[in-house]
Amino acid sequence: MRCDFCGNEFDEGAAEKACAACTLLGGCKKVKCPHCGYEMPRETRLVKAIRNWRARRHDRSKR
Amino acid sequence: MGIAALFQRLATGGRAATDGAADAASRVLIVGSPNVGKSALFNRLTGRYVTVSNYPGTTVEVSRGRSRLLGDEFEVLDTPGMYSLLPITEEERVARALLIEETPRAVVHVVDAKNLDRMLGLTLQLAEAGLPLVLALNMADEARDLGIRIDVKRLEEAIGVPVVRTVATRGDGLAELIEQIRRVRPVASKAEVDYGPTIEEAIAAVQRVVKPAPGLSARTRAVLLLEGDGEQRARLRRTGGDGAVEQVSRIVSTTGARLDHAIHYHAASAVKLQVDCLLAEAVTFPPERRTGVAEWLSRFSMHPATGLPLLAVVVYVGLYKFVGAFGAGTLVDWLEGTVFEGYVNPWVNGVLDALVPWQVVRDLFGGEYGMMTLGVRYAVAIVLPIVGTFFVAFSILEDSGYLPRLAMLIDRVFKKIGLNGRAVIPMALGFGCDTMATMVTRTLETRRERTIAILLLALAIPCSAQMGVILGLLAGHPWALAVWAGVVTGVFLVVGSVAARVMPGERPRFYMELPPLRFPRPVNVLVKTYTRMVWYFKEVLPLFLLASVFIWIGNVTGLFEWVVGVVRFPVRALGLPDEAAVAFLFGFFRRDYGAAGLYDLYGDGLLTGNQLAVAAVTLTLFLPCIAQLLVMKKEQGWKAALATSAFVLAVAFVVGFLLNGVLVLTGVQL
Repeated sequence: MRCDFCGNEFDEGAAEKACAACTLLGGCKKVKCPHCGYEMPRETRLVKAIRNWRARRHDRSKR
Repeated sequence: MGIAALFQRLATGGRAATDGAADAASRVLIVGSPNVGKSALFNRLTGRYVTVSNYPGTTVEVSRGRSRLLGDEFEVLDTPGMYSLLPITEEERVARALLIEETPRAVVHVVDAKNLDRMLGLTLQLAEAGLPLVLALNMADEARDLGIRIDVKRLEEAIGVPVVRTVATRGDGLAELIEQIRRVRPVASKAEVDYGPTIEEAIAAVQRVVKPAPGLSARTRAVLLLEGDGEQRARLRRTGGDGAVEQVSRIVSTTGARLDHAIHYHAASAVKLQVDCLLAEAVTFPPERRTGVAEWLSRFSMHPATGLPLLAVVVYVGLYKFVGAFGAGTLVDWLEGTVFEGYVNPWVNGVLDALVPWQVVRDLFGGEYGMMTLGVRYAVAIVLPIVGTFFVAFSILEDSGYLPRLAMLIDRVFKKIGLNGRAVIPMALGFGCDTMATMVTRTLETRRERTIAILLLALAIPCSAQMGVILGLLAGHPWALAVWAGVVTGVFLVVGSVAARVMPGERPRFYMELPPLRFPRPVNVLVKTYTRMVWYFKEVLPLFLLASVFIWIGNVTGLFEWVVGVVRFPVRALGLPDEAAVAFLFGFFRRDYGAAGLYDLYGDGLLTGNQLAVAAVTLTLFLPCIAQLLVMKKEQGWKAALATSAFVLAVAFVVGFLLNGVLVLTGVQL
């Protein structure tokens, strides 16, 4: 994913590493950019489902 | 972390755990900026049996593992991300400490081949430090696809270290990298940076003072001492005594007096110049793709003369007109006035009257302060439409790439009042949520910077919800809005300046990469707004309901009336009606809840323009919300958190009182 503040691309695994020292233990439901520290709300399940559906459709149309 | 690693970590008391006796002669360190593929390379080189542990005394994680490919005698370390040998963050400090303490057999500097201009500075510093260096140009496939051509041989000759192209995710170039790791030796002085005559003279003078030591070269240690590195200074005190430190201090001050900027600025410029020369010699880039207009607009938005008027336009159109007039005017009028006042609340009260015979239970859900008629109404009909429109405006700015440029613009102001430019990031985040921003202050360099940033966040940075409601509240009174913005900005600057002078410290240093400016994509804006609204609603609704329950308990026990009676006195001193005491009491719970209370009073015609401005200023500068207070306690301890809160509360009322006095004395009507 891409940081909305600094434009840095990172995977959610790296973001979790950046949150390791946080006192909220992930309870904030946000993703933290490991580069600049900017925090963005985690995508909801609905948005993820729509994104996956669009990606699948895109793959099928390419085949 | 695996179970085996966990047991090992417990057995070693949380210290960096290694598989057996680690031999320094066979240790390989992987270093580089964050997100360049260090971990992917580490995983390729090691295997399943990896230990992850905190570096002693920190929360920074370091991964270690025996190498599957190099041979079992090799231990590989994945270090935290670092940008420079002069550390700013704790991660960088740990990475540098590992470079010094672990006396590695080889150091693999992993760089993103697409962004060599940002990466090679550290390569030069590592080479200059005399470390046994191998440069891995990772993501080489992506660089090639972008049309970036790198002449590896020329780069090797220019820096004097082996260079290997890799694609860590696929394992490409790994065999050559392993070969180079086995063969590498500490580099000669070929890669020395030319810092210019003044600094070179100072380096030579400091080198005569520092004693030889393992780890970094004497030249690098001299450069770091000249740049004001605290750890190197402490090391010098241990090895050379106070006399050596005093000698270096004299060299630093005489050199500083001969230069027009700080030494670290000149040193960084010299490294950048050398990187540019390297790139010109060994790398060919595709034709510039950035359009002229985007580049021009980018500069326009960051220059104070043009950036500040642009900011005023953004605030007027995006916040005042869209959030204030449309969100707080049209949407709230319809949702609150028509839907809730016309249908929902009468229906709830009717159902309660018909089904519940006990007044006390009816008051919990309905009536003046009920969970449905107050809690849900505030959350759904007042706060949500305002915050929703605010999130739309914020997402557009975010997706366009304007926010980092705004940070650069604000940074200039920050530097003028003596604050660290890095504080721009938590401050910008504070406009989203002050609680999270308070936590982000831990990325700041010193305790002084953190204390000032936490104070300013608690005092003068309104969160998105509070700002949205206040903008809505003041939308019909543009002069009251201007006074509110002026007073809050003034308090921020004055308190920031005074705090920076009371707690003097190092001159600020700030560097930030700018993503390209682009036209916001509607899909992205929609997704971001929706995600934020869901997150906000989930957080705010339970709290608003809880507040209604507390008020109900207060009403039942008579405590609420008593507290409102006490709060009335300072509220009267602000020139506000007695009814505003309830809104301020709400504000103790959450500032946006208090602002929503003011919105109610305004709707009932109880507040004039002047009173609106005074109430909005006082509530903006008011106490931090409960969540923020808890995080402040975690970051600073109870004493500092309570002292900050007491200061903030006092400033809020004093400023409100003075503003009211000025408005009364001048006879101005807003």
